[in-house]
Amino acid sequence: MIEHYKLKKGTDTLLYSGSSLGSRNENIRFFFVAALYNEIKTMKIPNMTIKGVTMQRFMELLKKPWFLGSLVVVFVAVVLWNIPIEKRKYGLSQGSLVTDYTGLLPERVERVVKADDRKDLQRIVKEANEDGQKISVAGLQHSQGGHTYYKDGVVLDMRTFNRILEIDERQKTIRVEAGASWEDVQEAIQPHGLALKVTQSQSIFTIGGSLSVNAHGRDIRFGSMAETVKEMTLLTPSGEIKNITRDDPDEWMKYVFGGYGLFGVILDVTLELTENDLYTIHTEKLKTNQYESYFKELLDQRNTAMHYARVSVAPSTFLEEMVVVNYDYTEKQDHKTVLKNEQGVRLSKLALDVGRQGGALEDLFWGTQKQYIGSLDGKEITRNNVMRSESTFMEYTKPGRVEVLQEFFVPVHAYKDYINDLKQVIPANDRNDDFKIHNITVRYAAKEDFTTLNYAKEDMLGLVVLIQHGLEEEEIADATSLIQSWTNLTLEHGGTYYLPYYRYQTKEQFRSSYPGWEEFEEEKLRKDPNNVFQNMFYEYYLK
Amino acid sequence: MSHKSARYLPLVVTVGQVVIFPYYIIWLKQVSLTFTLFAWFFASFSFAAAWGYRIYQTKKNKDHSYLFIIYATMGSVYILIGYIKNSYEYLPYVVLPLQVILGLLQGYFRAWHSEQDTYHLHAVHHYLIVGFMMIGFSFIKIISPVVFITIFGFLLLVCGFWEFTRRGKLSVSKKV
Repeated sequence: MIEHYKLKKGTDTLLYSGSSLGSRNENIRFFFVAALYNEIKTMKIPNMTIKGVTMQRFMELLKKPWFLGSLVVVFVAVVLWNIPIEKRKYGLSQGSLVTDYTGLLPERVERVVKADDRKDLQRIVKEANEDGQKISVAGLQHSQGGHTYYKDGVVLDMRTFNRILEIDERQKTIRVEAGASWEDVQEAIQPHGLALKVTQSQSIFTIGGSLSVNAHGRDIRFGSMAETVKEMTLLTPSGEIKNITRDDPDEWMKYVFGGYGLFGVILDVTLELTENDLYTIHTEKLKTNQYESYFKELLDQRNTAMHYARVSVAPSTFLEEMVVVNYDYTEKQDHKTVLKNEQGVRLSKLALDVGRQGGALEDLFWGTQKQYIGSLDGKEITRNNVMRSESTFMEYTKPGRVEVLQEFFVPVHAYKDYINDLKQVIPANDRNDDFKIHNITVRYAAKEDFTTLNYAKEDMLGLVVLIQHGLEEEEIADATSLIQSWTNLTLEHGGTYYLPYYRYQTKEQFRSSYPGWEEFEEEKLRKDPNNVFQNMFYEYYLK
Repeated sequence: MSHKSARYLPLVVTVGQVVIFPYYIIWLKQVSLTFTLFAWFFASFSFAAAWGYRIYQTKKNKDHSYLFIIYATMGSVYILIGYIKNSYEYLPYVVLPLQVILGLLQGYFRAWHSEQDTYHLHAVHHYLIVGFMMIGFSFIKIISPVVFITIFGFLLLVCGFWEFTRRGKLSVSKKV
């Protein structure tokens, strides 16, 4: 029931609508506001109300050129500050063709279905089994190799399937729908003093997406992301909704995690959590040939919870220098510090853009990075905040060019030799080349034999490489050739490469990198005999 | 050049601005990428035009209107637009000040024009001329809007030069 209050004084009427369910305080607040309003309305300044004076002054101001000039200056400043960094459109929102983050594999799909009801999803999968329709699963589409769509297929857009279902503070677990982002999870668990065990460096991915690529991040103590999942609800390729635990006899987790969306739809998962510990940041500059022994010692000492490093790609120190960032235990937890938002995005973008010019400017960028990272030394940060670093500044929009990621894993013990040999494969100064490397970040991936397409057959260091190249046929061919050489070198050192990115590699390189591919393919045919779940990744490597 | 011919300069400029508008819009939409940014650019143009209009209206010595500078600067901005290479990363930061400059000059020019006794006649003529010109342009295949924008820029430069050489000798009568 809505109540209307009327106050009348002179000719002024104030209308107030409020719910009768409102508290007594609400009524008191109303009468206070109403009284104040009437007082103000009746204040007379020689034959004119305050409102009239203000309006007249404003109209007079509008006649002044200096005022209009100031308005323009202020407006321009506001617009300049708010020009979006990410200007391009990609993904399911882009017209008739669907792409993923790089936009390299545009494809027409039959339709995109927004997921919000389990029964609807179940019906779509069952119908697909009968009519031969192909289904792909998409989250925030940060994968770069067409994993989230298929020609003429149906795309299940999971972004709306994002509810937090349950938080168990005692057991330190969270049950969450697969379309939720890590950011959603962090916002839910932060007030409970909890944090994720394993996630990526940024929180912009969906839970389902990250598990489908069995992602890894800065944590060096809790193993792989897949191993932090306690339970999962899965919509199988036959259209059944199953609750899966780790001791499931059908071993669904083994194929679904790191299964690139080919074994059904993850509906929700129960993730193990840990305390939102407070860490001290410790940074160091190293020579690349010192890093292998440095890292082994770091792992053994157990003072450090999380870690990453950057390798110089600047011409004068190319693959010679590194900076490392460690997050050391303080034995303290932090329940007060709020989740940080992206900071200094425009400045970081400007710095990266300077680096993108190559040559001396890339040296300058490296110098700036070292200085910035050095300035973090000794500061404290919560676990949750380590897991949500900035990403928007990396946005790059230029017609005819693209920036992609590649990740190469190399055994920890082979790192030193690998980096030395890598100098023979990629040029130190790419200023005048089409193929440019802007950044290499190093992260640890602990040995994992839980999933079938596992990239860490032993303890590995993953080199995440930010690459830019042109989109002309010849330029793509050159980039492909260089990346294939890099992959061969990685394989020679007992390493492998990561599959969520664009498929520059050959089918043979895939098979050498992932000996479990045959088992993966056989199980795919067994669990999904009608090949309902399809994507461009499967078509290229496995079909 | 006769005294009479100089009287047609504002008509040429007004018609040109209207005719070039669709091409300019296409270019602006291309560089904006998003409608939000496109709308912001327009808003900045509009605010700047109001500013330019008032600058002329409050000007004390209206005999010295420096129109040749207005035409030449407008022309230079359009020519600059024609030479900008599409590099989406930073283009919005360049386009924004250009929008402000164009708005300011257009507002100033419009305020000046509206005080001339030929204004109403020019208004009717410009509607008719623009109508016929647009019919003509509808048969021309647009390769790139910047070609037209650049041509208009050069035309404005010529107008500026013409105005410069005639100023002093020229005395356009004012409305009473």
